[in-house]
Amino acid sequence: MPRTIAVDCPGCPPIRALTFDTLGLIKVIEARRVDGNQGNVSSPKVVERWGEPNSSNCILAASIDDRRIDPLLALARKSGLIEVINPLNGDIRVSAKSDVGSDDDSVVGIHLFRRERSESSSSRSHTLLTTTTKGAATLRSLELADSSADSLISDSLKTWRVCSSGDVSCSAVDGNECFALYGGKGVEVNVWDLEKCDKIWTAKSPPKDSLGIFTPTWFTSATFLCKDDPRKIVAGTNNHQVRLYDIASQRRPVISFDFREASIKAVTADLDGNTVYFGTGSGDLASADMRTGKLLGCFIGKCSGSIRSIVRHPELPIIASCGLDSYLRLWNTKTRQLLSAVFLKQHLNVVLVDSNFEDEGRAPYAVTEAPSNEEHEVIQNLDGEVEDGHVLPVKRKKASKDKQQNKLKPKKKNKKRVQAEGDG
Amino acid sequence: MGAKRKHSEAIEESAEAEEYHKERREEEKTSRKRQVLASTIKNKDKRSAVYAKLKQEKKRDKRKKAKSREAAEKRALELGEELPPKKAPRTIENTREVDETVCKPDDEELFAGNDADEFSGILKQEVIPKILITTCRFNSSRGPAFISELLSVIPNAHYFRRGTYDLKKIVEYAKNKDFTSIIVVHTNRREPDALLVMGLPDGPTAHFKLSRLVLRKDIKNHGNPTSHKPELVLNNFTTRLGHRVGRLIQSIFPQDPNFRGRRVVTFHNQRDFIFFRHHRYIFETKETKLTEIKAKKTTEKDKEKEDASAPQGKTIARLQECGPRFTLKLVSLQHGTFDTKGGEFEWVHKPEMDTSRRRFFL
Repeated sequence: MPRTIAVDCPGCPPIRALTFDTLGLIKVIEARRVDGNQGNVSSPKVVERWGEPNSSNCILAASIDDRRIDPLLALARKSGLIEVINPLNGDIRVSAKSDVGSDDDSVVGIHLFRRERSESSSSRSHTLLTTTTKGAATLRSLELADSSADSLISDSLKTWRVCSSGDVSCSAVDGNECFALYGGKGVEVNVWDLEKCDKIWTAKSPPKDSLGIFTPTWFTSATFLCKDDPRKIVAGTNNHQVRLYDIASQRRPVISFDFREASIKAVTADLDGNTVYFGTGSGDLASADMRTGKLLGCFIGKCSGSIRSIVRHPELPIIASCGLDSYLRLWNTKTRQLLSAVFLKQHLNVVLVDSNFEDEGRAPYAVTEAPSNEEHEVIQNLDGEVEDGHVLPVKRKKASKDKQQNKLKPKKKNKKRVQAEGDG
Repeated sequence: MGAKRKHSEAIEESAEAEEYHKERREEEKTSRKRQVLASTIKNKDKRSAVYAKLKQEKKRDKRKKAKSREAAEKRALELGEELPPKKAPRTIENTREVDETVCKPDDEELFAGNDADEFSGILKQEVIPKILITTCRFNSSRGPAFISELLSVIPNAHYFRRGTYDLKKIVEYAKNKDFTSIIVVHTNRREPDALLVMGLPDGPTAHFKLSRLVLRKDIKNHGNPTSHKPELVLNNFTTRLGHRVGRLIQSIFPQDPNFRGRRVVTFHNQRDFIFFRHHRYIFETKETKLTEIKAKKTTEKDKEKEDASAPQGKTIARLQECGPRFTLKLVSLQHGTFDTKGGEFEWVHKPEMDTSRRRFFL
């Protein structure tokens, strides 16, 4: 008997993801527990859709500040519009036309700072960092009032040029939000101090190979490896290489390895500070251990289109990937199994995960139903868990730092020193 | 045995039925013995005898079923009742794996996406399609012949010799000259084997495998196409990917066909293979000949059918094939123009997708 139904994927834990596509639509995908806390989880579904389909509204970059109270989401559109919305209901808090919306200069990266940067009087001031293709990085401050008319995005706090020539194609801000890195076509990876706004480090291109062939610089994606350590950078190149840079040791890549034949289009670091996930232009998704530069394994799930964005869930062992095949896919990072795939009809540019979903999912219920005591307990429990979760990274940080100190030494140059230590 | 069966058929039906019942009784006797699986019998002679019997039974059952069905139909006809519903055979297409990407007619996002995509300018007739056809670097024998036929199929197509130019350079050139598509015919060992269709200036690039190419002169009774703009038939492009490929193909042809030319170009998708055919059609009203044929048929067949026959002077469409005949299979669809190294693919065929015969992507 022929199989006429598709194979079901195992469900995923409750999760809320937002995808941003080329038509300017924002789709909210949620997987909820079916009944209470029984553990039955429905497959993820599109629950909301914000925005009108229009090709000029194409969303190029987005960043979320998923705090428990008053979360914010910043996004940059192709038309040069920068919007700050509420990720819970899609209300536009502020929108401003940036001055860079010209033909060949578009925003490639946006970052919404989680902590308050400027010590201004109002507590609801935020900071935005945008980067354009031509290399203009701008820090903007954001004043939020209750109505969208009162709030505004100020023009710019600080502006600097990342590069004089070439196209910037990737940018990232480290976990403590002190440093930003940029890279692109003809732009070596460079790190900027956001306090002083000056360049503190630039990478050096690898030497010519044995045939004397020099591959021109073209970074397509980059990220900081550890959340707390801005010294390690992982970058993916158009030439299907994944490289690890260590600011502390040298300007050339410490580790560099090839992955298949298509260019690396997205790189995301894991929470443990040594695993990275990367996706290619032909739809291959893999993870590698950056301590050794060895491939851990590929994520296999009929992924046929270029991967544009990967995001790691801050607590659960889940990554979400999306791209040109219009599917949002959720994977288990440990088993590398496909948990679920949602068809979203458009080419997706960015995916973000809302990490506070568990209690958010309950919030609408609480509004409709009278909140029972049990639910309160659940929420409290969850809070406790989350706090534990917050404690954990600190522990991890210590461990990782120790590891780094142990690790940095041998990695700094090459095996000679290791051997020397071994001898001694 | 066969002779025996024929003999029994020759005798009356009742006799056959009797014989059948007799056999049945015999079977019941033996069935107790035959509880053991045939495959477990070790003696080959005995095993094959059992198998032969099984096979025979099966055949008989089948024939019986067909007979009863025929009888039911006949009776329904006689009584003027509705015919029993015909069972549709199960084919690979109609047992296709369910696919959530199949386009639905009420999907507003699909239409919004269509408005925004790279072909909308051409399909809304704001831009007239202008095609550049070129080849791979080494090109001879069937390649040029195929291209000359493509030129006759596609209006406003221009052939450029490839020379030693990079394809990326050609893309740049074509963009500057306001071409809307590029078609590259790739030949291997003097036989065209791949087709690259590229939308310009930023449209997708589709890479097709080309097979079973028959040129015009090898088609029997072929016609020669006129220079009218052809009509286009796109069949069975159902999924999102298929829809996109269909629109890419559509953007090669002008959107205002000359119906006087009676030329039709067909891209028929079946099980992910796209069949290309090029025809000229004609409507004819051949009353005398038609009725003659009808008359012949009616004498042979039942009288009921005569009543159901169509009114006199019915127009029929006749087809004459012209132009090449070939089959395409999508290998990859790339976002943007040709760029093998750093390109992003919208769809690539991967071996891990081939886990079912009933899964199709177009």
